[in-house]
Amino acid sequence: MTVSTDQHKEGKKEVTFRVFRFNPQVDSKPYFDDYTIPVERGVTVLRSLNYIKEHIDGSVSFRAFCQAGICGSCGMRVNGLSQLACTTQVWDVLAKSREPGIIKVEPLRNLPLIKDLIVDMDPLVGKMVHYSNWIDSTMPEAQMGKKEFLISEEEFLRYDKATDCILCASCVSECSILRANKEYVSPAVLLKSYRMSVDSRDSMHETRLAELVKDHGVWDCTHCYRCQESCVKSIPIMDAIHGLREDAIESRGKNDTSGSKHAEAFMTDIEKKGKLVEATLPIRTNGVVWTVQNLLPMAMKMIMKRRTPPPPPLVKSVKGIKIFRTMFREMTEHVKQDHKSHKK
Amino acid sequence: MKPFDIVIVGGGGAGLYAAMEAMKTNPALNIAVLSKVYPNRSHTSAAQGGANAALGNKAKDDTVEMHIFDTIKGSDYLADQDAVDVLCSEAPKIIRELENMGTPWSRMEDNTIAQRPFGGAGRPRCCYCSDKTGHTILQTLYEQCLKKGVIFFNEYFALNLSVGGSRSNGLIAMNMKTGKVEAFPAKTVILATGGYAKMYWNRSSNAAGNTGDGQAIAYRAGIPLKDMEFVQFHPTGLRKSGLLVTEGARGEGGYLLNKDGERFMSRYAPEKMELGPRDLVSRSLETEILQGRGFDSPAGKYLHLDLTHLGADLIKSRLPQIREMAMNFEGVDPIEEPIPVRPTAHYSMGGIDTDNQTRTVMEGVYAAGECGCVSVHGANRLGGNSLLDILVFGRIAGRTAAEEAGKFTPGRISEAELAAQFEEIRGGMHPSGRYERYGELREELGQTLALNVGIFRESSLLQKGISDIAELKERFKKVRISDSSDVFNTNLMQVLELKNMLDLAETVAAGAYARQESRGSHTRIDFPVRDDANWHKHTLATLVKGNVTLGEKPVTMGRYELQERTY
Repeated sequence: MTVSTDQHKEGKKEVTFRVFRFNPQVDSKPYFDDYTIPVERGVTVLRSLNYIKEHIDGSVSFRAFCQAGICGSCGMRVNGLSQLACTTQVWDVLAKSREPGIIKVEPLRNLPLIKDLIVDMDPLVGKMVHYSNWIDSTMPEAQMGKKEFLISEEEFLRYDKATDCILCASCVSECSILRANKEYVSPAVLLKSYRMSVDSRDSMHETRLAELVKDHGVWDCTHCYRCQESCVKSIPIMDAIHGLREDAIESRGKNDTSGSKHAEAFMTDIEKKGKLVEATLPIRTNGVVWTVQNLLPMAMKMIMKRRTPPPPPLVKSVKGIKIFRTMFREMTEHVKQDHKSHKK
Repeated sequence: MKPFDIVIVGGGGAGLYAAMEAMKTNPALNIAVLSKVYPNRSHTSAAQGGANAALGNKAKDDTVEMHIFDTIKGSDYLADQDAVDVLCSEAPKIIRELENMGTPWSRMEDNTIAQRPFGGAGRPRCCYCSDKTGHTILQTLYEQCLKKGVIFFNEYFALNLSVGGSRSNGLIAMNMKTGKVEAFPAKTVILATGGYAKMYWNRSSNAAGNTGDGQAIAYRAGIPLKDMEFVQFHPTGLRKSGLLVTEGARGEGGYLLNKDGERFMSRYAPEKMELGPRDLVSRSLETEILQGRGFDSPAGKYLHLDLTHLGADLIKSRLPQIREMAMNFEGVDPIEEPIPVRPTAHYSMGGIDTDNQTRTVMEGVYAAGECGCVSVHGANRLGGNSLLDILVFGRIAGRTAAEEAGKFTPGRISEAELAAQFEEIRGGMHPSGRYERYGELREELGQTLALNVGIFRESSLLQKGISDIAELKERFKKVRISDSSDVFNTNLMQVLELKNMLDLAETVAAGAYARQESRGSHTRIDFPVRDDANWHKHTLATLVKGNVTLGEKPVTMGRYELQERTY
């Protein structure tokens, strides 16, 4: 039973919201405005912004709709971390704030800025379209509505978590690849692609995959896990990315793209030596011509600075390599079995 | 802009289904969907519980006929029986259709679509995807629309229909990204903007944008609104925010308890207990609170929704969103403690008057979903029937508009009309001297509605409500927009939404004052019984010379005679 429901009587704190401002009509560059308001425990960042808008400055612009963590409208960076303003408690943020009493509110990154905390979502929608983020049903349209597909709980569970995604774009904002390359597919779009590809009702798995293995696609991810860490719905996005890569290798082979070759080179090295043979990695991934054309200047620089990786014959196997190999083979076998059962 | 064959206003379940069906019916048509948010943000996503369809997966003896009867009885016999026929007969087909397109329904052991019990239903027929049913349906529809190449105008705020004689020339809307007022000349317009229950503001479970824009647009164009007085209060809103705890929580076995720890529903619905229909359960909670058996808190009186006996596993697997919300907005983990709840304005049964094919009285204008009123919900909607409504009638709207678009010549909207619209919204809202804050007006509107036009209504309360609304409308004339920017002026948008809510609040209060009986969600303390002799009819609210004018429309009966409604 509830002991006390009067938690929010516990007083107020003066909090300064340092809000990112930019109106393209008048501002040549962004700036910050400070708004200091009293905030009780239990109040969210969104409620605070609403208060500022209604009582102090009506021109502060941000999106908000359901205010309950379901619609995904109010994604923004709060003290540097992308999240939903409506489910973020002010006091929780304050407790971890580097500057006491100050909460910095900024727009999401990696999407074009429109005004203040509002960014353009069109590029994300465009990528969903580019990568066919929909089910292309095996059932002809004319037959629809007559009978159900029979789907096991096991299959449902494979995409259940992925369908939690509300496209808030927190992962897009946190993605380190997108910071360097705006054309990169985006974590949310990879997640949705995965969700479609493990659905037995879908008929365009191979076509979608063919697009995903191209440049800016699934092989560009560098496993920084920031998407997964920032996901407001705690969706294991990296599992989806790994799932797509396993699919790609299985159905398109190891020599399909530089991405799959790169992954294969890792596998070979790890199995053989327990560590990477870095010197030949670019050649095995992208071929000799590409490596000479693209990496020669860097190789020269590395030689000058004596930072070249050891030549392959000098890379010794790690200690306990025999036991390691047994474990490694067992593991790959497990993954294969796992994959087979998913395919059923 | 080139005239459209169909302009759909609203990108929720009804609007998206309409778009999809219209393209299917005639792929050559030029169709646009306008939405003030990205379609995947629409409030359809908040529907947690599920959609009813007599699939018979869970209860083999369930039938469409039983679904029809439950819906008519649930409506307190105000639903039109031919419309309910359409709703329930189409249900199994449309749920399977969604399934065929990829909606991730939860599954039974035999791998068919899972179903669970819901309030007011004789059989467990509510199809669901854990507690994110609306979200997954909306995702599916949005994905399929993208697949079909539907043209979206996202973040456009609809302002008005352009009316020429007995028909509409199309729609006028503001592009939020530029602030420009743009014309959408069209042969047909489908209004599918959702409900108006957000006028109760903090005492509402709705999204901030559920401000009845479509109904207000229709009303200003002279199209009658039907049964506006019927606003459903959901029994279990979170105490502080009004946000919703799905009926699924009770469907899974949750208890409602008062401060004495008593399962008080035994007094009001001894058979169905917590799974009585919404209006009855809401009144029961309100009565418990009024009679002093609620808990006290600075945020108001409340009761307990207890899930603790269901166990951590079930709560985590079946009600994860509810758990998250209870923790985020009340600081309570339902695995360990009961959730503080009280009734919250949740759904608008009333809406734009349409026929069974979603046609309004204005040629070429259609309305569907919560925005329209066919009527399938009558005086009270059953849980699980609203998702169904938007799907079934969204599809019908798309098909009807696609079939009828050819009958109409494309409309023309003049530059002068656009300029006048622009002047109206941007010119007059910078009063000098004393001015009003829209945030305060909005909160006061919610308060007076909750107090005077709420669950329990009475003549003098309603009079107070009506005069409060009139006063707020007067004060609205002095409202000021402090943001002068053209780009994404959310300040302006919120003021325009408030204007829509004020217009509609008048029709809700007027209908409630006129209807001297108690039926479904509408409870008059001074007229406590249902009065079939005088009030078995729909009310119609029409704007005539700036004032609400009430008319009436008979209820279409069918196989089911009027009966007393007990559970």
